[in-house]
Amino acid sequence: MSTSTQGDLAVDATDAQVLLEVDDVVKHFPVRSGALIDRTHAQVRAVDGVSFSLKVGETLGLVGESGCGKSTLARLITALHPVTSGHVRFRGQDITALNRRQMRPIRKSVQMVFQDPYGSLNPRRRVGSILSDPFSVHEKMSRAEVKRQVQELMARVGLSPEHFNRFPSEFSGGQRQRIGIARALALRPDLIVCDEPVSALDVSIQAQIINLLEDLQDEFMLTYVFIAHDLSVVRHVSDRIAVMYLGKLVETGPVEEIYSNSRHPYTASLLSAVPVADQAFRTARRERVILTGDVPSPVNPPSGCRFHPRCPKAQAICATEEPPLEHKTGDPIGHLTACHFPVNPGETLANASRDAVPAPEAAVGATEGVDQ
Amino acid sequence: MALLDVRDLRVSFDTDDGTVYAVQGMSFSVEPGQTLGIVGESGSGKSVSTQAIMGLAPGATVTGEALLEGADLLTMSEDELRHIRGRTVSLIFQDPLTSLHPLYRVGAQIAEVMETHAQMNRKAALERAVELLGLVGIPEPKKRVRDYPHQFSGGMRQRVMIAMALALEPKLIIADEPTTALDVTVQAQILELLGRMRKDFQTAVILITHDLGIVADVADDVVIMYGGRPMERADVRAAFIEPHHPYTQGLLQSIPSYSGRMGRLLPIKGYPPSLMRQIQACPFAPRCPQAHDECLVAPPPLKPVGTSPGHLSACVLPSDAVGLPAHDAQATPAEAAVGGVEP
Amino acid sequence: MSLLRAAVELEVIEEQNPDAKGTEQAYEGRTPWRLAWGRLKKDRVAMVSLGFIVLLFLVAIFAPLLTALIGHGPNTQYTTSGLSLSGIPVAPGHNGFLLGTDDQGRDVLSRIIYGSRISLEVGVGATAVALVLGLVMGLVSGYYGGWIDSILARFMDILLSFPILLFAIAIVARFGPSLDLLIFVIAMFSWPYIGRLVRGQVIALREREFVEAARALGSSDLRIMFIEIAPNLIALAVIYATLLIPINIVTEATLSFLGLGVLPPTASWGNMIAEAQTGDLFTVAWWFLVFPCVALVLTTLAFNLLGDGLRDALDPRHGRSNITPTKRVKRSARSSGREKDNSEGKRA
Repeated sequence: MSTSTQGDLAVDATDAQVLLEVDDVVKHFPVRSGALIDRTHAQVRAVDGVSFSLKVGETLGLVGESGCGKSTLARLITALHPVTSGHVRFRGQDITALNRRQMRPIRKSVQMVFQDPYGSLNPRRRVGSILSDPFSVHEKMSRAEVKRQVQELMARVGLSPEHFNRFPSEFSGGQRQRIGIARALALRPDLIVCDEPVSALDVSIQAQIINLLEDLQDEFMLTYVFIAHDLSVVRHVSDRIAVMYLGKLVETGPVEEIYSNSRHPYTASLLSAVPVADQAFRTARRERVILTGDVPSPVNPPSGCRFHPRCPKAQAICATEEPPLEHKTGDPIGHLTACHFPVNPGETLANASRDAVPAPEAAVGATEGVDQ
Repeated sequence: MALLDVRDLRVSFDTDDGTVYAVQGMSFSVEPGQTLGIVGESGSGKSVSTQAIMGLAPGATVTGEALLEGADLLTMSEDELRHIRGRTVSLIFQDPLTSLHPLYRVGAQIAEVMETHAQMNRKAALERAVELLGLVGIPEPKKRVRDYPHQFSGGMRQRVMIAMALALEPKLIIADEPTTALDVTVQAQILELLGRMRKDFQTAVILITHDLGIVADVADDVVIMYGGRPMERADVRAAFIEPHHPYTQGLLQSIPSYSGRMGRLLPIKGYPPSLMRQIQACPFAPRCPQAHDECLVAPPPLKPVGTSPGHLSACVLPSDAVGLPAHDAQATPAEAAVGGVEP
Repeated sequence: MSLLRAAVELEVIEEQNPDAKGTEQAYEGRTPWRLAWGRLKKDRVAMVSLGFIVLLFLVAIFAPLLTALIGHGPNTQYTTSGLSLSGIPVAPGHNGFLLGTDDQGRDVLSRIIYGSRISLEVGVGATAVALVLGLVMGLVSGYYGGWIDSILARFMDILLSFPILLFAIAIVARFGPSLDLLIFVIAMFSWPYIGRLVRGQVIALREREFVEAARALGSSDLRIMFIEIAPNLIALAVIYATLLIPINIVTEATLSFLGLGVLPPTASWGNMIAEAQTGDLFTVAWWFLVFPCVALVLTTLAFNLLGDGLRDALDPRHGRSNITPTKRVKRSARSSGREKDNSEGKRA
């Protein structure tokens, strides 16, 4: 069945509008120990064979819990980490094979907005200097021209241009995230990977930043990969959603399709687990699935379908055979699910729930902090 | 009588960089068995309030009243407070790893609470610890009591904290962002557990969080805080369907609606106030779309609003002006500027 | 020390109340340096030390002027007015010798004043050389990692475990004592202290998001090292340079004491102490041994106290973890805060 997935990708790749193509990308981090000699005795399988493609102007929402590999994937797309295997193609060019000099033009086109508005700005540099970096690295410009560009940029993201002489500590979290966005925007990139850009911000500030990102997308024809664990934010900004679990894509498809007709039990439980303030939706939501246990460690992921130890629908085959990411009958084109027993419309997962008490944890002290 | 009645609480810290006025007139009360959500953004003073009451805000200057079953916590000695912190009130924090001693087995830590506060002997206390761990859903509790905190995952550690909090069957549990460090699916487990424990033990809970969804899920009543003051108090349904205070309304409209895409979000313009000075007006006035002149004279007191009993709002707007404005009416061009303007 | 307490409390507040971070908002003038200066200004001990050091520098710079004012040259032997008939040095305050004279009838005060020049020259000079070397080596070692790091880190370890005195004796025996050689030898053996600290800091900074952001922009390694990372090392460098200066001053004194540094008759605190100890005249005329010692102790103390103050002002986190990482501090800080609360509450 996996051939059909490959087939889908092939069709996508011939489309002239395809901007980014991620093809069976794998990233393993060695776990080292030993004081004198580094010995690699295990691998963190952070990203373990992920494929998708992205069209110009599209926003792909990447969703998953900590340790699922979404942040690592972001760093593979932006070539901050080398891939272990697989290919990342930008406008058809394989960027995993490029050297530093060949990467330069790609760096201009692929940018990143980071999660932590405190950590992503150098505390000892003035904002004007931080924002002039893109120009001094890539363009030959006079100082006056750089300053003009920086101030224009600051105004565009909603900062007072007079503040270019300030240090990051003199700005609030929301303002700092605007600075981070301005830096990513400076060279007019085609693709911006947003790694949890609003999760460190307060709700009222989140909305400002999301609106800004949407405005910029319209104005500059940007394509986004938008990583978040807040499902309502992802739903608001995305055209398509990809759900990750332990380094794998478990489901991907158009946003409304995923939210209203999720086929993978993990997606369904994830969606149902989110506490919701919206009263209209609260009454509409049919059930609440409480998953048992924690996310297992990516050092030693479960066999077969990686979700099977927590899955309310799991059967024997799930532990032995890994389900391919494929189109399921009745779903619209582009909705792919990696599951042997996809959730059927109207099915209640809560009943399938195996037991109320959490199962013994697969790996103790499992996954926190692996997703770096 | 209310279990805990806090009136005009003010907390400030003298730091090297100036005085921080973290709480500037907080009032709320909790009834026995009730779950009260305290919601606010960072800097709203939601955590500091309860920490100051329980004597956990080092170096803070605290004034006001905090009556726990009629006795003022703010005038108690450290010893009396420690006694109360063990018996009557339990605390659960965001990061259980900092609250658990890394070098002692979790069973011993839970047992110690009971030994010191309930004069139980070691053996009985350990047995009870096993029982409690089982109760909060830790598999094989007999084996796990002998484990150290680092051997538990984040979710399991929070379960241990809940077990420890329940050990003395307190009348009140203060849970400060108990699930913020956890993943969504694990958060759901913990919230469900908290809810179940509350029912079984008839404990009142103060749940401090920034997540409106959690409050909507778990709480009976909610206090919305801003700039160190309560803006609105209501039962959860009224707060989310008939909010009165413009801040509450703004907060709700900032959430990308879960029930579908609705075009642009409606953020609150501007940024939260600085806490380095005392605010002598409604703290929200500078960001409020409906601010009046009188808002700048003095902070409006809480007054009854709307139709549901106990619905209070610290806003000068007419008391029947409840409910969210229709989305379309708000999405005017004036709003479009909001996204990109700095105060 | 109230200073330590303040640093601890500030840290605890930030740690326990995520809310308190809300105070970190758009404030004008809250630059890192201004904040640090604000904290330092409140630290009386550090400010007094700073005052002493500034004074010391002025004294060293204007040494000729000062000795002219006193009227006694540093190397002049006042055989008639500076020594009693039986050859005993003049006590402090007599014959116009404020701090007395030494066994050769030289003015102790003038010699201490001139000695401060040597101390500062060597202390500051060697530290400056060590700082540059330490910063560059630490940056390269920490940033690149891998085999470069292995080699440099081992090299630093070897230097640190080297017996400096033996090495100095060997070098001086070969090249003959001189001030430049002294600075070179001391710098050679003190840069690894800075290098190791810088390396550790760089390894941490290398993983920060702002460095990642710079790499995402396509910045070169040099640019990342010197424009992104280096500014974040200044605080550390300032602190440890301040703490290294007194160590180097003492090293200079030690080497001079052993006759390997500054040679008599040029005055240095080290050789003054050495000369005073050659006979047993100091049992009668204690002053010409004690005063150079006092100068040395006060100077090292001032630098050390200022260094401590700087560490608390620039890097409160670091200072705290050095003091007490346990919860107990929080508890005691909490209870003291609590007492304050109570008094406030009762007053209200």
